[in-house]
Amino acid sequence: MDSVENNDANRDELIIQQQREIEKEISDSTPLVSEQLPLNCLQAEYNGDEVFTDKIQELFKKYKFIRRTRPDGNCFFRAFAYSYLEYLITNNSDYQEFQKLAEASKDKLVELGFPSFTLEDFHETFMDVIKRVCPSHSETTEKVKNELHALFNDQGYSDYVVVYLRLITSGKLQEDADFYQHFIEGDFSIEEFRHQEVEPMYKESDHIHIIALCTALGVGVRVEYLDRGEGEQVKAHDFPEGSDPKVYLIYRPGHYDILYPN
Amino acid sequence: MLKLFKKTKDKIPKSEIINEPKEPQKPAVSKCGKPLLLDNSRWERRLHKELMSLIKEPPPGVTVDTESVQQNLSEWKINIKGFEGTLYEGEDFQLLFKFNNKYPFDSPEVTFIGSNIPVHPHVYSNGHICLSILTEDWSPALSVQSVCLSIASMLSSCREKKRPPDNTLYVKTCNKNPKKTKWWYHDDSV
Repeated sequence: MDSVENNDANRDELIIQQQREIEKEISDSTPLVSEQLPLNCLQAEYNGDEVFTDKIQELFKKYKFIRRTRPDGNCFFRAFAYSYLEYLITNNSDYQEFQKLAEASKDKLVELGFPSFTLEDFHETFMDVIKRVCPSHSETTEKVKNELHALFNDQGYSDYVVVYLRLITSGKLQEDADFYQHFIEGDFSIEEFRHQEVEPMYKESDHIHIIALCTALGVGVRVEYLDRGEGEQVKAHDFPEGSDPKVYLIYRPGHYDILYPN
Repeated sequence: MLKLFKKTKDKIPKSEIINEPKEPQKPAVSKCGKPLLLDNSRWERRLHKELMSLIKEPPPGVTVDTESVQQNLSEWKINIKGFEGTLYEGEDFQLLFKFNNKYPFDSPEVTFIGSNIPVHPHVYSNGHICLSILTEDWSPALSVQSVCLSIASMLSSCREKKRPPDNTLYVKTCNKNPKKTKWWYHDDSV
């Protein structure tokens, strides 16, 4: 019996070790956010796959570039933040408004019951990142965009931004719990869902996360769904419905990247 | 037997890849050339802040052994009292928190230590605790304080003092570090 028992315990460690190795391989080979790449780099991934190559052809009509994010479960939040801040660099009035909203968001979360002393660090870093990509700086747009790129590839900033957006999302779910409860399957309460599927890092995002975050920040997002669904068209969804999108993302099962419209 | 308590979901926290230790020789400057404020000591600052808050406004029944913390900021001993009106009334327990430099992205390693390990369906006799916020559901917005509150509430809601059914086997075969176990979380209502 002993050997069987030991195998059981060792298997846990082996599984965890293997997971860590896979994660390390991903983090060594993929930057948190890539450079802007021509959209046709997607073709290479689906060589010989008719459904996908047809759909990618359709996408070419609307988009030329893609920016990849690391597939670590945080991709929606990271892609969203990068893409929106990049938009704000050249849109000063939206930037000013967003900065105010971001500044006020901390007090709102505290009001909703989040402990201020763990919130502080994440909010501070979030505000720091926003300040550092301010469009009114005397620097050129190019330079500010480079700064944004460097910040988002520095885990000490990038992951703090992800955490803060997760908390904003969680706060929105709590604030409008009656509404969001309808989106949750099974016997999950909103409370459980927030603590288990929203606040922890690396938990993947679903429609409910996207709707809550976009609504909380007042930012329109268009997601292009590249999947095996019927037809040659890539289906697009706007969040919140009917909004004017400022952020464009491509979704492939389990993963979000950033798109650049023509 | 052990299988009964394994996680069935294949997702585990991917915390290992957070904040890869930076090379010590490198000056603290970000890629964009500006001074980097987020250096390695950031986790220590966060722990200091938590410590101050815990000393100033401790949750009921919780006290930090400040002597242990003064010796080593990455290992805290925390005393926790069994609440009145619960099965643990009058008992004193001690928790050991271990932190690494990826805290708060990595969860703390938390175990019961000392001579009195609570007899509870989620607590193994070696002090390991089966509690989802300590691994899978950990969030950087949680804190030592919120972990203590969860553990206190776990104890308070207990209706029958007993060990987990696979206790003997687990204690014999597990790693010293409870975070190396793939837990399958028991019903929270126990």
